[in-house]
Amino acid sequence: MSNPLLRRKQFALEILHPNISTIPKKEVKARLAKMYKLNNTNTIVLFGFKVLFGGGRTKGFGLIYNNVEAVKKFEKKYRLIREGLITKTTKPGRRATKELKNRRKKVRGTAKTKVSGGKKK
Amino acid sequence: MAALEVLESDLPSAVTLLKNLQEQVMAITAQVQSLTQKVQAGAYPTEKGLSFLEVKDQLLLMYLMDLTHLILDKASGGSLQGHDGVLRLVEIRTVLEKLRPLDQKLKYQIDKLVKTAVTGSLSENDPLRFKPHPSNMMSKLSSEDEEEDEVEDGQSEASGKKSVKGVSKKYVPPRLVPVHYDETEAEREKKRLERAKRRALSSSVIRELKEQYSDAPEEIRDARHPHVTRQSQEDQHRINYEESMMVRLSVSKREKGRRKRADVMSSQLHSLTHFSDISALTGGTSHLDEDQNPIKKRKKIPKKGRKKKGFRRRR
Repeated sequence: MSNPLLRRKQFALEILHPNISTIPKKEVKARLAKMYKLNNTNTIVLFGFKVLFGGGRTKGFGLIYNNVEAVKKFEKKYRLIREGLITKTTKPGRRATKELKNRRKKVRGTAKTKVSGGKKK
Repeated sequence: MAALEVLESDLPSAVTLLKNLQEQVMAITAQVQSLTQKVQAGAYPTEKGLSFLEVKDQLLLMYLMDLTHLILDKASGGSLQGHDGVLRLVEIRTVLEKLRPLDQKLKYQIDKLVKTAVTGSLSENDPLRFKPHPSNMMSKLSSEDEEEDEVEDGQSEASGKKSVKGVSKKYVPPRLVPVHYDETEAEREKKRLERAKRRALSSSVIRELKEQYSDAPEEIRDARHPHVTRQSQEDQHRINYEESMMVRLSVSKREKGRRKRADVMSSQLHSLTHFSDISALTGGTSHLDEDQNPIKKRKKIPKKGRKKKGFRRRR
């Protein structure tokens, strides 16, 4: 089903693989690229794969975007990290942000930006 | 000579006929004149009537006029050969013939209208009374509603709807009235028995008995699944939702437990030997199978800090 608002094609996917274990996503992406005649697989996003009871069948969802910009714009951050299009930005921890905020409270005005984090002995 | 005799015998009857004719013509003229006077005075208004009937009236009048014209011509000795009136008559006659089936179709409606006009109101069993009236769906809240009193065993009175100011209809949510809970133990028992009876009636045992003794032909239905349980229906519903929304829903512990129980139940050969309970119909006491509903013994171990998550028990 095509979703032009989000510039992608979205579908539910069922894979039949009797007598073998679940097929890794990379292989599935390669197959899909061949089916839809794409050059590379960076516009394909797969998720939600579950093996059905008894084995041999897997159900999941897939999205094929029109281009990489559309992927970066519309796709969820955790999926982009999974694909490898974005690296995870580790923010300072919860405690650290709270301490920084409290230190900032003691200062007024533009000096707030000068307050740096970390314990200084 | 024979012609003269015929003429002589015919003469008195002809004279009487002519006299009759004269009288009748006079009577008819008088009637027609009174009718025309009435019509000109406007005693028969036809604006709001059926136009079909009006067309018929006009056609019949035209027919009569042409006919009288022809009679006049013939009586004054002219011949009707190639007379224009004949053609007109034929045309009007064909149109009237074509209108006759329409008349048949409208007969019911016209009869009803006439009856309404005569009696002034519709009869009680008139199905027209039950036709939908969309005007009844418009809220008549502009007029004040009187308060409804619902006093039942000392329960608080119901609140009437407040009258809405003017035309702007602000949505007033309905104030649901708490109904007094009056169910005694006996009534609860009765309800339970009712439900058990209904369930027993639709159990497989009774159904097979019915099939055996009824005269109706045996129906073999291509059912989706003979052992469709509530759990499988819920699973199907979940699967449909997941596939249409393209999300994966998380399964809580309780759901997992239920699913496991349903699987265990269906994988055993339980349904082969255990039939549903029809004691509600036979009158005996209901015997619940031990392995169906095992009585769980709950261990009472007071845990530290249990009070916090007081109401979120995990069974």
